[in-house]
Amino acid sequence: MLMGTLRGTPLLSVRDLSVQFRTDQGLITAVDGVSFDLRAGQTLGIVGESGSGKSVTAMSLLRLLPPATTRIARGEILLEGRDIIKASESELERIRGRDVSIVFQDPMSSLNPVLTIGRQICEPLRLHLKLSRAEAKERAVDLLGFVGIPSPRESLGSYPHQLSGGQRQRVVIAMALACRPKVLIADEPTTALDVTTQAQILDLLRELQSKLHMAVILITHDLGVVAEFADDVLVMYAGRMVEKSPVSQLFARARHPYTQGLLNSIPPFGDQELEKLPAINGTVPSPFAMPSGCAFHPRCTFASSACLEAVPELASCGPNHVAACLRVTELERMHA
Amino acid sequence: MSEPSTLVRAKNLVKEFSPRGGIFARRKGRGVRAVDGVSFEIQRGETLALVGESGCGKSTMGRLLMRLIEPTSGEVDFDGIELLKANDADFRTIRRRIQLIFQDPASAFNPRMTVGAIIAEPMRLAGFSRERCRERVKELLPLVGLADFHADRYPHEFSGGQRQRIGIARSLAVHPEFIICDEPVSALDVSIQAQVINLLTDLQKQFDLTYLFISHDLRVVRHIADRVAVMYLGRIVEIGDKRAIYSRPLHPYTQALIAAVPLPEPGRATSHTRLTGEIPSAQNIPSGCRFHPRCPYAMPICHERDPATVVTGDGRQVACHLVSQSLDIQPQALEPQRM
Repeated sequence: MLMGTLRGTPLLSVRDLSVQFRTDQGLITAVDGVSFDLRAGQTLGIVGESGSGKSVTAMSLLRLLPPATTRIARGEILLEGRDIIKASESELERIRGRDVSIVFQDPMSSLNPVLTIGRQICEPLRLHLKLSRAEAKERAVDLLGFVGIPSPRESLGSYPHQLSGGQRQRVVIAMALACRPKVLIADEPTTALDVTTQAQILDLLRELQSKLHMAVILITHDLGVVAEFADDVLVMYAGRMVEKSPVSQLFARARHPYTQGLLNSIPPFGDQELEKLPAINGTVPSPFAMPSGCAFHPRCTFASSACLEAVPELASCGPNHVAACLRVTELERMHA
Repeated sequence: MSEPSTLVRAKNLVKEFSPRGGIFARRKGRGVRAVDGVSFEIQRGETLALVGESGCGKSTMGRLLMRLIEPTSGEVDFDGIELLKANDADFRTIRRRIQLIFQDPASAFNPRMTVGAIIAEPMRLAGFSRERCRERVKELLPLVGLADFHADRYPHEFSGGQRQRIGIARSLAVHPEFIICDEPVSALDVSIQAQVINLLTDLQKQFDLTYLFISHDLRVVRHIADRVAVMYLGRIVEIGDKRAIYSRPLHPYTQALIAAVPLPEPGRATSHTRLTGEIPSAQNIPSGCRFHPRCPYAMPICHERDPATVVTGDGRQVACHLVSQSLDIQPQALEPQRM
């Protein structure tokens, strides 16, 4: 607890964030009551399956979701004390790319196929940092070298299609880092890459983070990636936080049945061999047919009748460790 | 003559894709050898996993085995029958015994057909009666964890995991013996992945199926395979028993692949062999050993000579100069991969 106060005020503080989508079939709540703090130099891993709301959370942090169909229903996103939700368009423009950058799974979604990568890296430099054409070009060469692109000066004239997937992701990371952001959001940055390339990109992110002292939000479905990279982990299910804890704690003693299920369903890699993988039954609920009470109850082996009634609140179950499960203490006693 | 227990045998398979000169083609490019002299055997009832990174030729390999793509040269022997020399009628009967499961099953479904019709399609093509098709669909649905009433629904009403179950049911429809699973769980969420993997292993036991399991996920392969073949740029660089390969990978590429797998063990030292660079294009295959530009142990000979495949003491086959030198195995122990 003392450590927490010593570490100072958070760089980014998200409080009770709720995001709704307007659809033909009515209003759905994609993210419901997400809260976390992030300090400089720290990495928060957000884990969840498709439809868990992890990407929507990331997009909302920069207000990138279309306002016509999305509404931030509740909450605060405080970046150094300023609320991004209340920011004006011009303030937002400054925050995006300058204070907070985002890297997506598919690098081509961030790259313009008909512009050279030199032009694309120089653009934010000239826009945000007001560099001259020549200065921006020099900075771009530095950045490309920094992210490990071989012969950076020559590659300024390349088009995205001339690069491999791993190199494109490096270019996108270079663009994201161009203005030395305080927070980098990486949304499944290595999911589309091969394992050896994934390892390279994660090494790169780790190195850049320690050099630049950035805070990183890493969104992924891969608990292995989280274990190697994150300091804290937030597990989401059906739009809600189900568990949050320091990474070592989560892997050693996950408290929510969903987190436990996720961890168990990873095929073991050591000498251990299993006849059958302990799978989680059923499927992720549709947002149009959310189960009553705890959204995980239809798939939970421990669900009781109370779980059908009440939505569980996050409750502390250890230092910096919270879980949203009605039966968390009971189950703990069972396992003990 | 193959041994009685061998179901599939590929010998020196080569697939060269020739360049097509479209209107945008500036110059005639070189042909691409996606699969370049690959030989292996699959025993009845086993799961051979084919692993490697994108572009290594593993999916092409799977398609060559069932002649969805015609090999440029080489042989495929299925249960004693030479697949590439079989006449149309023979081939059609053999083809029924070999099925394919895709990564995205929905891409192979007609969205306007009901699930029942989709599952029955291979049977209709094989000339089953309407009645028999209906009965078989009824048998298959519970086998893959779906319910009777699902037969009247359409594919879009199902989640990714359920669609994969439909794909599996369809592949089982005509009682195949050999199923090529091409990244069957890669597009699925973690919790669903485990369900489908369990289903595949259950069905294998129940129907004595033989699998070629193509995957880039070494965690899944570690669980499901009996033997593993590692492919790099159109060649198999190491093939052998799963336990041997995972506990003591010999080829530097296998070592790097296994070391790169992120494990759910926070705090684990990450000082492992990192590969530099990326898989080269199959249009520009490096000289000598094709892995040498990325290999941390490359020696002068690796730049010049293509390593022959040697058999190690534990029955593994490895194509690496360093391995054959350090284990002092003479390359003539096996015919070289190159034709």
